[in-house]
Amino acid sequence: MSSADDVAAAASGLLEVRGLVKRFGGVTAVNALNMTVRAGDVHALIGPNGSGKTTTLNVISALYRADGGSIRFDGGELAGLPAHAIARLGVARTFQNIRLFGDLSVVENVMIGRHVRTRVGFVGALLPGGATAREERETREKAHELLRFVGLEHVAGASARSLPYGDQRRVEIARALASEPRLLLLDEPAAGMNPAETDTLVVLLRSIRERGTTLLLIEHDMNLVMSVSDRITVLNFGQHIAEGQPAEIARNPDVITAYLGGTLDAA
Amino acid sequence: MHFDPVANMQLLVSGLAFGSIYALVALGFVLIYNAVGVVNFAQGEFVMFPSYIAVTFLLPAITVFGTVVHWQLPIVGVYLLVLVLMVGFGLLFNRIAYHPLRDRGWMPVVISTIGVSIFLRNAAQMIWGSQPIVMPSLFAVDTISVGPLHIRPQDLLIIGVTAVLIAFQFFLFERTTLGKQMRATAQDRATARLVGVRVGRIVAITFVYSALLGTISGLLVAPLFTVTKEMGALIALKAFAASIVGGFGSIPGAIVGGLAIGVIETFGGFYISSAYVDAIAFIILISVLLVRPQGLFGERVAEKA
Repeated sequence: MSSADDVAAAASGLLEVRGLVKRFGGVTAVNALNMTVRAGDVHALIGPNGSGKTTTLNVISALYRADGGSIRFDGGELAGLPAHAIARLGVARTFQNIRLFGDLSVVENVMIGRHVRTRVGFVGALLPGGATAREERETREKAHELLRFVGLEHVAGASARSLPYGDQRRVEIARALASEPRLLLLDEPAAGMNPAETDTLVVLLRSIRERGTTLLLIEHDMNLVMSVSDRITVLNFGQHIAEGQPAEIARNPDVITAYLGGTLDAA
Repeated sequence: MHFDPVANMQLLVSGLAFGSIYALVALGFVLIYNAVGVVNFAQGEFVMFPSYIAVTFLLPAITVFGTVVHWQLPIVGVYLLVLVLMVGFGLLFNRIAYHPLRDRGWMPVVISTIGVSIFLRNAAQMIWGSQPIVMPSLFAVDTISVGPLHIRPQDLLIIGVTAVLIAFQFFLFERTTLGKQMRATAQDRATARLVGVRVGRIVAITFVYSALLGTISGLLVAPLFTVTKEMGALIALKAFAASIVGGFGSIPGAIVGGLAIGVIETFGGFYISSAYVDAIAFIILISVLLVRPQGLFGERVAEKA
């Protein structure tokens, strides 16, 4: 990447990760990672298994605490904030292993995601009457709208647990979108999906970007990554080895080595 | 055995009243268990302590710290005062007994709740002495006649208030964002936090709500018995049995389990022997555990064990 590119990226970075370190005991899962996610992009984070992709996402969303470095989101520091505060700032996420509230209905799951944007406090919520009822109704309408957006309005009343896998993923995406995030973190959204479901997902991801939400995506399906991403960051052993547009990444020798070389050496 | 429909009807009302108390206290157990994964062994003191505070302001004269005081206030005002004080108590309990230990696993929290229970019983004895105290009720008469039935108005009040609280709780959980956050927190705290639920606040609200359920139980049941430092323990023990009978962690289970134990022990006390009243709850508990170990409404016993 040229230095002019670097400056341009840094100037418009919605999410700027600098020198991020995360250790588990003696293992350094993320090692001095730098990454800039530009506003409006679909940004993919790829790398071999164990390269630290999910750990990076988990540190950004405060599921884990960073051991060093900074995570700036829209100019403010995220490292050290509790998870709910990060969600409120506009960073939402989905999970590699789907984490819906199985006993709640589909629409209630989406409503939970929405509540960070609601205003009635906990005393207000206990008082029956106007504000609570109105907010509840608005939240429910918004949740139905999002379910329509992801194509699941017809199962709004079903319990989340009863849905097929691919649909559960889309409920998770709707729940994440309900908070009106500026940055949406997706951890392997296509995992376990058949090709038809993956195609639907690609369309969905593009329309999410068109709504103005920036996406940071971890994915193993390279066809999906190459077709939706504006920029790609490649990790290996917790370190940044390349960043650029899909075409650049596809012919980057370090990336080819990381993906193929290790395998060939080991064989 | 002589079968008397009038007596049976009276027993049913009385049994439902006691069952309602068990159900309210059992709900307190279940809500806290669902929110923080720990059984709160001070739940009985959530019933006992507010009852003592209430009698302090309900009686024309009462001994506090060895001094006779005359702090009598109107009964409705006292109820409100006690409820407000117990909101503070719930917040304090969360802050002192749970919050500092929340990341240490369940055992330290259990010990902590046992500690609070012992502390409050001894504090009650120090403050109010060891003599049982009679709490006045809202009603001037002990029983009213409804047709051939003689019914305690206090029983009807207990059943009515419990029905309203259960309806309120249904509204809270199904129709408010706060309730959905409470359910989400109960199911998966980590994910709830990641989607923006302020889990610490939801837990604090849960402690307050459980304290208020205990308080209301105490204010309702104390006029039928006396206020003693042990009054909460037996109620809580039966409520605990009720929540296991219902399937621990299940809200409908806590309600049905509480009502069932109240009704069965009342009939058992009448038809078998009143000496065995307190044993009946545990006979029911053991029978249910033998036949259906997960409880009436329980599903995943392995996870709850």
